[in-house]
Amino acid sequence: MTWSLFIPELYFMLMIGVFFCLAMVLRPNPKRDFFIALLLSTLGVVVCLASVKLEGTLFYNVYRVDLFSQVFKVILAIGFFLVICICSELTGIGERYHPEFYLLLTTCTLAMMLLVSSVELLTIYMALELSSYCLYLLVPLRRGYGVHVESGIKYFLVGAFTSAVMLFGIASLYGVVHTTYVGEIIRVLPGVIGRPAAVIGLLLTLCGFLFKLAVFPFHIWAPDAYQGAANQVTAYIATASKVAAVAILTRMVALSSGSSTYLVHVLVTLSIASMTLGNLVAIVQKDMKRLLAYSSISHAGYVLIGIVSMTQSGYAGAIFYAVAYLMMKFTCFLVVVKVAYDGSDLKIAQLAGLHRRSPMLAMALMLGVFGLAGIPPTIGFTGKFLVFVAAMKKGYFTLVLIAMINVVISLYYYLQVVRAAYLLESDASLPPMKVSIPTKLLVGTLVTAILVLGVFPQYLLELTRAAASALM
Amino acid sequence: MTIYAAIFYVLAGVILVATGMAITRRNLVHSIVYLIISFFGSAMLYYLFGAPLLAALEIIIYAGAIMVLFLFIIMMLRVDPSSLRRPDLKQWLPASALGLIYVAIAILVVTQDPGSRTMLEMALTKPRVFGEFLFQKYWLPIEIVSFLLLIALVGALYLGKAFARDAREREEAEK
Repeated sequence: MTWSLFIPELYFMLMIGVFFCLAMVLRPNPKRDFFIALLLSTLGVVVCLASVKLEGTLFYNVYRVDLFSQVFKVILAIGFFLVICICSELTGIGERYHPEFYLLLTTCTLAMMLLVSSVELLTIYMALELSSYCLYLLVPLRRGYGVHVESGIKYFLVGAFTSAVMLFGIASLYGVVHTTYVGEIIRVLPGVIGRPAAVIGLLLTLCGFLFKLAVFPFHIWAPDAYQGAANQVTAYIATASKVAAVAILTRMVALSSGSSTYLVHVLVTLSIASMTLGNLVAIVQKDMKRLLAYSSISHAGYVLIGIVSMTQSGYAGAIFYAVAYLMMKFTCFLVVVKVAYDGSDLKIAQLAGLHRRSPMLAMALMLGVFGLAGIPPTIGFTGKFLVFVAAMKKGYFTLVLIAMINVVISLYYYLQVVRAAYLLESDASLPPMKVSIPTKLLVGTLVTAILVLGVFPQYLLELTRAAASALM
Repeated sequence: MTIYAAIFYVLAGVILVATGMAITRRNLVHSIVYLIISFFGSAMLYYLFGAPLLAALEIIIYAGAIMVLFLFIIMMLRVDPSSLRRPDLKQWLPASALGLIYVAIAILVVTQDPGSRTMLEMALTKPRVFGEFLFQKYWLPIEIVSFLLLIALVGALYLGKAFARDAREREEAEK
């Protein structure tokens, strides 16, 4: 066995060890914890980037390292790093619990790295559970105990229910194909997909991942968990965990090789339901994090359009969309964290006068929101374009049409956010916000990435195509 | 009747009675003790059928770990048995109606369909072979489980502390 293939995961395990030791130290020191986390997560990105070209299988073939998994590991490490970047003022979580916060965040990232590389159902299930349990705990970790435990319990109950459903699906799938290895399932399944046990088993197995992605009807946890969790935790749930969900969902749907029209119909229905529901409910939201939660439900619908195409360009589009989504959502959350500096929930009305208080953050918010709405020349437009084109090629005209209508609906509430930031004046003349130089640098990089990758997506596109080809 | 058949019927009877007692006791601790007796009975049944590993797992996991956890929870919550009211007609009528449908279908299936007998493939293995298979081929998932347990431990500690803190704050507020 070549251990070098496992280096990114080993590095993250080491990181867990460091935070575990820090959690033992009695005297809380948030500054120290933050700098250690920042340093280690930067190194984490470097380690993942260095191991992007690795290929091979490990642990009796349950673990495959290929371009697909390595690209996702880099994206996850970057997502983790970005979330750590906005933890400098972790006011939402008690000082005593900062090491635990980083410990859970690191473990969750490790679990998702294991998830994107696993090619065996039992391993996939365990990795998924590990990442979910970290998130279940991160949500009630917020200071000001009470309502957050409620949202944590809601999240946990929905999650436990879907993982039971998923286990049932795995058992049923196993009963038909007699193997738990993804590589063998992909060979056997198209032949037996006509049998109800096979297609229902696969569908129920997908439930676990649909839950992670907050697709209708597994979306009920999202608004409460988003609102109840500390802002940084919400940022993590909305970005990194969504990317991992897209990765594993793509891998699992690729199993059927597009040979089941029944599966396609169900996924198309779910996609339409989630985007329509997400967009319509988002319109009436007053809380910024709830609005972003409903917007993420609708985006889960858009990603599903790419996945449901079941072609290489569709999968590549979905991966591209996930990357774009990570950047845009993160930019929005960065602004949320900075404006709600005391760790409270942010109302949309509280954004009033942001363009005067901090022009830079207001611009970042505008670009992030425009990206989510899919306005050119942002990366969000390119992502939607790729996904829609892939679906059109397969002839899903109605699906694309409904998605287009949804994009128009979503413009309304995205513009509400921009309006609050630019056109509304706040009653109390709030002082200008101090934005530190590292934050400015981070905002600048994100804004540049959103624009540049939107206009010149070629390089990223090549990468996602290569990653998607590892699936087929 | 062979000695094995006699053992089987005695065990089956004990399991039925113990489970029946478990669901009718009003004192939760008593029900759990009856449930443990029922689990031990099922474990012995498994052993009788030639599945020693399953028997051991039944005792270790169900009768051991899970039931002890239940006991702990009941002891911590300190539920007053008299406060648990009997479910009224509105609650148990739909449940028993659905249950009766199941019973009817089961009887139909057993009596009407003589072709429903299928020989299941025997999968006999020694615990040692099973263990070696599990811990060799599946050691990555098992390592992930160890992480999961660590996280569960951290979470239980944190949430336990949070509950204690909350209770203390509430008491202080009442004063």
